[in-house]
Amino acid sequence: MMHLKFPVVSRTRALENKIDSFHDKMIEAAAVFRKSIQIFLCAESRSEYKAVNRQIKVIEHEADKLRRDIENDLYSENLLPNLQADILQLVEGLDKINNQFDDVIYKFYIEQPEIPQKFHRKLIDLCHQVADCAENMAIASRAFFKDLSTVRDYSHKVYIMEQESDATYNDLKKAIFASDMELANKLQLDLLITEVADIADIAEDCADELLIFTLKRDI
Amino acid sequence: MLSFWIFLSSGLFLGWSLGANDGSNIFGTAVGTRMVKFRTAAIISSLFVILGAVTAGGGTTDTLNELGSVNAPAGAFMVGLAAALSVYWMNKSKISVSTSQAIVGAIVGWNLYSGRPTDLGTLSTIVGTWIFCPILSGFLAILIYQATRFVIRRTAIPLLKLDHYTRIGLIIAGAFGAYALGANNIANVMGIFTASNPLHGLNFSGGFSLSSTQVLFLLGALAIAAGIFTYSGQIMQTVGRNIFMMSPLAAWVVVVAQSMVLFLFASAGLNNFLLAHHLPALPLVPVSSSQAVIGAVIGIGLLKGGHGINWNIIRRIFIGWITTPIIAAALCFVSLFFLENVFNLTVYN
Repeated sequence: MMHLKFPVVSRTRALENKIDSFHDKMIEAAAVFRKSIQIFLCAESRSEYKAVNRQIKVIEHEADKLRRDIENDLYSENLLPNLQADILQLVEGLDKINNQFDDVIYKFYIEQPEIPQKFHRKLIDLCHQVADCAENMAIASRAFFKDLSTVRDYSHKVYIMEQESDATYNDLKKAIFASDMELANKLQLDLLITEVADIADIAEDCADELLIFTLKRDI
Repeated sequence: MLSFWIFLSSGLFLGWSLGANDGSNIFGTAVGTRMVKFRTAAIISSLFVILGAVTAGGGTTDTLNELGSVNAPAGAFMVGLAAALSVYWMNKSKISVSTSQAIVGAIVGWNLYSGRPTDLGTLSTIVGTWIFCPILSGFLAILIYQATRFVIRRTAIPLLKLDHYTRIGLIIAGAFGAYALGANNIANVMGIFTASNPLHGLNFSGGFSLSSTQVLFLLGALAIAAGIFTYSGQIMQTVGRNIFMMSPLAAWVVVVAQSMVLFLFASAGLNNFLLAHHLPALPLVPVSSSQAVIGAVIGIGLLKGGHGINWNIIRRIFIGWITTPIIAAALCFVSLFFLENVFNLTVYN
């Protein structure tokens, strides 16, 4: 059977694949982050955490490359001309989430904070909640490109997870400052959990923008 | 024969300005939103304008000839020039203007000057069509918009595929629009010259031939194409910027609605089909593509709640309906007097 190749179609397909891969990277980053905290809290897993730190850097680097490719393809091929600015903003927003995953893992790796056992459960919960939040944001964003009708559902999940992570963050913060730790340790831990909670906040901002872009996408 | 070409120049000038203005209505949104390149748009619209004019331009021409058959080349020249100048002046005053309204006014001016009666039945049909045209365009736009939205929501087409289909849709709709424009509006440009046309038909190998009227229409269509190539690009960019908030899909809806309206008022085949089946047929009347576009845009605007509609534009359309034919008629009447008495030219037989 003869296969005909149309340049526009193949360019469109190539961009579709890159957008898909970009979302895959984000989901991967969320998964790595989810397991990273457990590895960190396990005293015997220092070398494993080093590997996690390397893994997230690789994912972040690949996502960055994909983001640049997507932006470049959109403009150079003049695809989706009326949505270029919106997609650019969306992809940049998602990239900030990836960067934040990388930053937080790196900070835990460098600072090696002392985290008392009593905070472990809450910290794991917080990390899982922000990872879920980011993951749902990636799915919502993917839906924007593939099936508009589900964007609202996933965005709503992002909001729910962000609220849960906010509650966990506040509880943890109160517990940290109510504890008998040194003030320096309290401040260090507070800064770190704030950085973790920021992941959900960035995801929430992305979801807000995404819903507006979705309204604009309607004909 | 030389004098005929000189006299024909006013029609060619009118064709050029029609190409520049109305040509931009067809692909303006597509080019302005960068969905289609200007070069592609210009080539497609030129080809299809010529095709529409040559193959289907007869219906609306007959209607204009029923209104007044301008039977002297000098008279036809002045009718064309009066219409062209009226369009130029009204455009300067930023009033929505149509060559159809200008040419009808100018023909009535010629009728008055030559003492021929104006068929009031035909005139009222034409004026009624002008009013009906944007309303019909608006209704069609609402229907197409709703249907398109329904299909898109049901099928969940991926964004990039939708972008691809929209581009193809804009090109097909643009080609159809150009064909309909050629069929509907060639009468404005060349209709007045048909009664005094000295050109001969052309026979090509393979049994393909053009009648003398079709040759005349071909010349007019080439003038429209020249207008599209030379001047519509700038207008297309302006159109795109002015309605940039409109999505490419909504732009597609507007082009399809406008093209359908132009086609409905130009297709003799459709007219005959409806009459043969005892259905009410639409009159074959040259209508304004600009006003069809405005009607479609307002239709979509009303569907979305009517916010942000510039009612000033509608006021300007009303002013255009009244003033353009009056100015063209008065200008034609006065100019015919000068042409006959100062230049000693026969302006009617």
